[in-house]
Amino acid sequence: MGAGISRLAWRNLWRNRRRTLIMLAAVAVGVWAMVFMSAMMRGMVDEMVRSGLEQLPGMVQIHQRAYRDDPSVVNSMPSPEGTLQAALAEPPVTAWAARVRVPAMVASARASRGLTLLGVDPAAERALGSVPPTISEGRFLEDEHDRGVVLGQRLVERLESDLGKRVVIMSQDPQNDVADRGVRVVGIYKARLPGDEERFAYAGRAALQELLQVPGQVSEVAVMATDYRRPQALVEHLARAAGPQLEVLPWTELDPFLSSMLDLQDGFSLVFMVVVFLALSFGLVNTLAMAVFERIREIGLMQALGMRPGLILRQVLLESLYLLLLGLAVGNGAAWLTIKPLESGIELSSVARGMEMFAMGATLYPALYWRDMVLATVVVLGLGVLASLIPAWRAARLDPIRALNSH
Amino acid sequence: MPARLLLILLLSPLLCTRALGADAPTASEIIRSAIDHYRGTTSYSEMTMVIHRPDWERSMSMRAWTEGDKHTLVRVTAPRKDAGNGTLTVDGNMWTFTPSINRVIKIPASMMSQNWMGSDFSNKDVSKDTDIIDQYDHSLLETREQDGHTVYVIQSVPHEEAAVVWGREVLTVRDDWVLLQQDFRDQDDVLVKTLRALEIQPMSGRNVATVMRMSQQENPEEWTELRTGAIQFDVDVAANLFTLSNLRNPRQ
Repeated sequence: MGAGISRLAWRNLWRNRRRTLIMLAAVAVGVWAMVFMSAMMRGMVDEMVRSGLEQLPGMVQIHQRAYRDDPSVVNSMPSPEGTLQAALAEPPVTAWAARVRVPAMVASARASRGLTLLGVDPAAERALGSVPPTISEGRFLEDEHDRGVVLGQRLVERLESDLGKRVVIMSQDPQNDVADRGVRVVGIYKARLPGDEERFAYAGRAALQELLQVPGQVSEVAVMATDYRRPQALVEHLARAAGPQLEVLPWTELDPFLSSMLDLQDGFSLVFMVVVFLALSFGLVNTLAMAVFERIREIGLMQALGMRPGLILRQVLLESLYLLLLGLAVGNGAAWLTIKPLESGIELSSVARGMEMFAMGATLYPALYWRDMVLATVVVLGLGVLASLIPAWRAARLDPIRALNSH
Repeated sequence: MPARLLLILLLSPLLCTRALGADAPTASEIIRSAIDHYRGTTSYSEMTMVIHRPDWERSMSMRAWTEGDKHTLVRVTAPRKDAGNGTLTVDGNMWTFTPSINRVIKIPASMMSQNWMGSDFSNKDVSKDTDIIDQYDHSLLETREQDGHTVYVIQSVPHEEAAVVWGREVLTVRDDWVLLQQDFRDQDDVLVKTLRALEIQPMSGRNVATVMRMSQQENPEEWTELRTGAIQFDVDVAANLFTLSNLRNPRQ
């Protein structure tokens, strides 16, 4: 019996071929839009998280407890040793770097600017992926004893300085005395976000420790691990190794904005899909209502011959289900086909300044997640069948006598 | 350069008759003498600072004490709204006291390159003005005769890691150790600002540059003048003069 009904539904679907095809196209375009837009938004958010993690940097950071309230050199911690160092050498840690991070001034003969001065060990930073992506002039630091400084392109322009010239860096030592020194600009970097070029300057870690009179002390340890979505286990492991004096925090707490963006994204995808579907559902309900309306006499006849209302309901719902399934297949397929070639990146340099406000670079990398395709499918199928209940219910409740007599 | 040096060496016995056969002073000795000359071992001075801009001008009277290279105390006496403001520098660190908020504030590193009380001097110019002695390499560029004095022109190039933004400074010093001019040049050798002695008068037995003007090369209409009204050298200073408690509660 079931097979008979489904065959009937399938054939009914193609009785008005043009109407079905138009509806199919509408469903397919709707599904395509849902998946495509989700992939775009995923791409944007992933990019924000990625650049956020590069900038923090790391998925987990270790600080002295007071550092986050007062990021001065007073609140520094010793470089990792012993158990902590051992814990950092094991998986899932892929890379870690201990760095000095202090507020500082950089001055030239023409101007001076406040920024965050990073005392880094270039090899460790490279493993962490937190070195500037492009060195436009000169070189990056050679090792942690490098006595030069690497400044951002925009900063160099503001200071009217240049490669090979001397600038003065000024900060404070733990006694709050002025610590300053002339340094040569050995490299100029370009950041993915031009604003960062004015916010960060890089110096050799040992050289900076010497200037600030904090030998062997660092401000933070940044840790990169395999899966950025689940840092909690690693945090607990490192916290046990670090001891009570140090604070171990995942990026979700270090940058709550970033993690709430990620949560927001999930909710937003669903809302977007439901909105698109609502527009679609009017077409869907209308199509089915028309199909039922055209077949009133036929349905009446089937009822008169003894067909149960439940089977009629099932037949109309099956019609809708076939339509939706076909539309989903075409829509998902089209989305996959359009996104795959774009995954290498979409150039958006014409609106780069606007994108920068959202902490994004000039290239958008759409990210197609199976989750989004499944979510779109579930939303369309679930709500679609629900919406089809109205015309199906009406068809099932027809009075056979009246139906047979209608024209 | 070697040729000029040779010339100076050859001619020095003729030129330096006044030095009575003593060796010609080296560049760093000249700088040292110039700084000792205007600071003395200790000094007390009363001066007026005039800050000039194209559309306004204001002046401030102040008293200043110095001891050695590392201790300076400046106190504003007029106008009334600024009176009592004080600046103390000890070993390159700098504190200010503002009576209206009754607070001593340590000038943080981040404010060292900002201007001092709205003038064309930076906090650094004020707190580290004697750094030029040991943070620079000095060389004598030229010796010339001018108005009956021998005038030395000295080039001072900061050490590689000195906390100095200038490419070089050129100082013109007269043989009575009055600093006539100090040029601040950037690393492209472009003149950025100049400190110039506009008036020189005898005071307390020394020739003193009584009017010094700091002007920016790019905006000649913006300058700051320090006009010295009185100065005494080698005065007795109380042991507690250059302390934070004295900055807050003046006892002199």
